[in-house]
Amino acid sequence: MQGDALQRYTPQLVGAAALLAFVSFWEAAATYKLADPMFISSPSRIASVAAEMWEDPDFWRDVKVSSTEFIWGYLAAIAVGIPLGLAIGWYKRVQYALGPFIDVLNAVPRVTFMPIMVLWFGIGIWSKFAVVFLGAVIPIILSTYAGVRTNEARYLRVAKSFGASQMKTFKSIILPGTAPYIFTGLKYASGRALLGVVVGELYAATAGVGHMIAQAGNAFETDRVFFGVLLFTFTGLVVTTILARIEKRFDRWRPEGAVR
Amino acid sequence: MNSRSIADICRDNERLIIGASAFAAFLVMWEGFSRGWWATLLAPLLGESARALAIKPIFISSPTGVAQQSWTMFAITGEIWPHIAQSGGQLVVGLGAAIVVGVPLGLAAGRYRTFSYILDPFLSALNATPQVAFLPLFVMWIGTGFWMRVLIIFLLAVIPITMNALAAVRTVDPRLLKVASSFGATELHTFRTIIAPSALPFILSGMRLAVGRSMIGIVVAELYGSATGIGIMINMAGASFDTDKVFVGVLVIVIAGLLMTEGLRAIERRFDGWRPAIGDNM
Repeated sequence: MQGDALQRYTPQLVGAAALLAFVSFWEAAATYKLADPMFISSPSRIASVAAEMWEDPDFWRDVKVSSTEFIWGYLAAIAVGIPLGLAIGWYKRVQYALGPFIDVLNAVPRVTFMPIMVLWFGIGIWSKFAVVFLGAVIPIILSTYAGVRTNEARYLRVAKSFGASQMKTFKSIILPGTAPYIFTGLKYASGRALLGVVVGELYAATAGVGHMIAQAGNAFETDRVFFGVLLFTFTGLVVTTILARIEKRFDRWRPEGAVR
Repeated sequence: MNSRSIADICRDNERLIIGASAFAAFLVMWEGFSRGWWATLLAPLLGESARALAIKPIFISSPTGVAQQSWTMFAITGEIWPHIAQSGGQLVVGLGAAIVVGVPLGLAAGRYRTFSYILDPFLSALNATPQVAFLPLFVMWIGTGFWMRVLIIFLLAVIPITMNALAAVRTVDPRLLKVASSFGATELHTFRTIIAPSALPFILSGMRLAVGRSMIGIVVAELYGSATGIGIMINMAGASFDTDKVFVGVLVIVIAGLLMTEGLRAIERRFDGWRPAIGDNM
């Protein structure tokens, strides 16, 4: 029985051991001066900086600014992206009209527009909001659109035969069939939104965790830089894990053999 | 029957007609805002408040302004070419390194289970981090030059390439692998004749994703430093309110991105037949 349990958790155990080895090697390299700790920092230094910053009100202000940018930009992208994706998927002519713009925006990293956003909205919170929104809205539109397009033609035909209204068809067939795709889009979009926060704050900002990283970098405070990077890693992991769970939950709704 | 009515032709090309008109309408709107057409046109209706519809060209530029500036920069002064060469060079080196490292790493992790257990936590963590957050760290380590930018492009590109190569090995038909091992094929032989061909289409998809990521690298890495490069050109033009130039740079990136992803998509389609059919491997 014990062997079974061991076998079951092998991936986690090996993974944890590898992480532990990495962290110990890092710490050792800094302690025995294999590399200058000023450049590579060390896990214990990062931990002590983390404890220090926990008490620092400036740090919490940075966190608040970054999360405000992230949350509002992301929510705005959801509020615009889902209806737009549904409209593009449902009405052929809307797709013809908006398709070229979305394709072009999809081909370029939206962070390219950062200088223009700063020009329009200044270096405060609004330019980051705009770049987070732009980054997140495109994947949401595209996957919602893909979801509508993969709805089962059979169901649609049945609905039509029985004279279902557009509203009814939409509510009982399109929306449930599209939900899993929307959540996939939301998962991708969260990564894009986080990227927007980082780039926006590195580019020009007065506050935020990205701004903190940039300043710490200029001052050669490597421990702080690493702490900031780890904070983003942690946020990214938490957000994607939650969204992946939700996505999985709705996976059963995905229409099978979906071709129209 | 020999002549089709105009209505028929319109119906057949609906997509093109609607798309092109929407695009043309966008350009006219844009030009109109920058030249104050709308302000003049609606002044009798709206009175004083119509003036808000005339937006200064330093904020929004204009299609003709961008066209003129592109002509100047490409054909007359030629000042854009060094920027393109510099950024292109970084892209090629960074992306090349990402392929050289990512493909074998992903293939190995896909083939050897224990190795994938080791690699997985690092790969997931890096994938969840917006990798550009490492930028200040890289600047501290190796300065703001060519290699820093190559490093950030490499980091952005290597993750999708590795992950796709890993997933690719998992889709190989297990029957073929069993046959190979029954007949005593060497590991190298199995890789060359079974794994590599069926993994190729997935690896190409990974590269297409990586190209998109590395364009982010071009723009973001060039936030630092002050030599040549498209990203730097955009930033400097933005800082000096030279909006036409900003849009020329954005346009170059749009076109480069479209060309590269479409090119890779064409190669992908060429090798699509090599993709193992899903559900065929039972």
